[in-house]
Amino acid sequence: MTITANLYDDNATWVIKLDDKFDFGKVQEFRDAYQSLPEDVTTVEVDLGQTEYMDSSALGMLLNMQKSLSERSLAYKITHCRPQVARILTISRFDKKFDIS
Amino acid sequence: MKILIIDDESLNRFLLLHMLEEEGYTDCYEAKNGQEGIQLAQEVQPDLVLLDVMMPGMDGFAVAPVLKEMAGDNYLPVIFITSLDDKESLARCLEVGGDDFVAKPFDKLILAAKIRAHDRIRQLTSKIEQQNQSLRYFQQSVDREHAIVEHIFNNAIVNKELVTDFFDFSLSPAAVFNGDVFLCESSPAGGLYFLVGDFTGHGLASAIGVLPVSRTFRFLARKGYSAGEIAAQLNTTLGSLLPPDMFCAAAVIEVDASGCRFNIWNGGLPSLLLKSSTNLSMYKVVSRHMALGILESDEFDAECEIIEGEPGDQLLVYTDGLMEVMDEHGKMADEEGVMSWFSSPETITAAFLFERAAEYRADSIQADDTTIVIFSCQSLEVLKEDFATNELPYSIHLTLQGRELNNPHIISSLMEMINSQPGMTLVRSDLYTILSEMFNNALEHGVLKLSSDLKSTPDGFHQYYQRRDTLLANLTEGEIAFKILFKPSESALDITISDSGDGFDVSALDEDCLTACYGRGICFLRELCESVRFSDNGSTLSVRLSMAK
Repeated sequence: MTITANLYDDNATWVIKLDDKFDFGKVQEFRDAYQSLPEDVTTVEVDLGQTEYMDSSALGMLLNMQKSLSERSLAYKITHCRPQVARILTISRFDKKFDIS
Repeated sequence: MKILIIDDESLNRFLLLHMLEEEGYTDCYEAKNGQEGIQLAQEVQPDLVLLDVMMPGMDGFAVAPVLKEMAGDNYLPVIFITSLDDKESLARCLEVGGDDFVAKPFDKLILAAKIRAHDRIRQLTSKIEQQNQSLRYFQQSVDREHAIVEHIFNNAIVNKELVTDFFDFSLSPAAVFNGDVFLCESSPAGGLYFLVGDFTGHGLASAIGVLPVSRTFRFLARKGYSAGEIAAQLNTTLGSLLPPDMFCAAAVIEVDASGCRFNIWNGGLPSLLLKSSTNLSMYKVVSRHMALGILESDEFDAECEIIEGEPGDQLLVYTDGLMEVMDEHGKMADEEGVMSWFSSPETITAAFLFERAAEYRADSIQADDTTIVIFSCQSLEVLKEDFATNELPYSIHLTLQGRELNNPHIISSLMEMINSQPGMTLVRSDLYTILSEMFNNALEHGVLKLSSDLKSTPDGFHQYYQRRDTLLANLTEGEIAFKILFKPSESALDITISDSGDGFDVSALDEDCLTACYGRGICFLRELCESVRFSDNGSTLSVRLSMAK
């Protein structure tokens, strides 16, 4: 698996961790990563610390995740972005829908 | 055994000769005065001298020191044969360099026993001299080998000043060779990498591992590998080289161009400390891995920790030599000790920490190699100048048809080709996004004729990519052509991509990247590129990526 999804120590944060590429090849895997979200989860964190390459389908995947989970009130975070990745997210104004750090 | 008899009385000489012959010493020489004795000694190089004290001309007291002088470092026993029996004269025999004396008339038994005793001493001395000689030879060859190794080390572990300028560091080996290592190198993606390592033990045996570490680190750093990948490769290299009981505790740290973001792999080093310059709080990056060179490649965990600081914050990396100092009661300073030294409000220097450790251990000697490296968060933009782009233009043309388009490695191959050119890694993230958007646009809409309308719902989005896979797997016709040109005079990379499709209505593109569920790719291109231009009714797309820093 190139994407890992785990419950964080606090039992309330679901962390989805990508590898170096977050692009159209990850559509299925990324979708699977939030299919079985535990009840107690209040925050979904997408860790892009290892991610260097991104394309527009990644943005589609992020938006789709929010849409799919819209009936639950969840907070969304994108963390550990490299500057290049952060720039892509800012260009597409994703900072308005996600808490990016 | 050669024995020289120096006596002016022939009767004495005759008696001595006779006695020696009886004892089995047949290689004997006679001299009838001091002068002659010295001359003969020079010729025959005796192993023992029987010397009369009272002689006309040079007496025994004068001859002995000359003989001793001639023998140099070799032990030449000189036994005085004397009729003098006052204590002063006997004492004088020994003072002038004699080794023993026998009273005249001499006793055969005593003299023979003394000759044997001095022969033993002589043999022992010559054995020691031989051993000393081989020791001297050994010492010389070791010195020479050390000089050569030192030379190689000095050449292998050169850190560029451009990069070391960003560090405050102190390297204090406990022996001539350092089993600790500090390496730093600029990153092709901007920013830098550094490594602090500590091999088992100290001295030459542990320092030897520094060579492959330095090579591998530099090679991978210049290529822009991640900290985790570098650690994994070092682990493999050391695993195959080092004996099982030797390994290297190390931290590999990647600092991005902002100089504030760290990607850290720590295997066996004391916790790294990031100290905030504003509130002095400290964050610990504890070792989460085993040292390098222990685990097999498939057991190795390249997981890194990412931390972020603010400009002016200090990141401290040190080897255990700093914290394992003992005070007079045998109490170790430990990580707590180092933390308390590091916690003072002022900006801490490596020299300051080393002094604290020296104070702590008071009079006892430094027992282990000690390395202290401090990085202060600051912009590393200037390091980008370390990577010049190609001075000559180049171009890459690639035309893919039908089945060839269903290859998952098209973008990565192109990336590899372009990134193999100097200076291109600086823009690799942007380049990947650009190539990926252009190619997917040409493939999905031009060749596969997929409509983005489908992507407006989550399920549709998913179906879209399923359709894409199915169509692609059965694709037999269609064509996509890349033309990539690097123009050094304009510091620009021009990328053109054409597809065999029908094109589309360029004017219908949505301008808003957030609300639109598609067309976001074009937004990216507009932001990342200096220019974006459609032609041939939308089936050709040309962009320019500026390389100007």
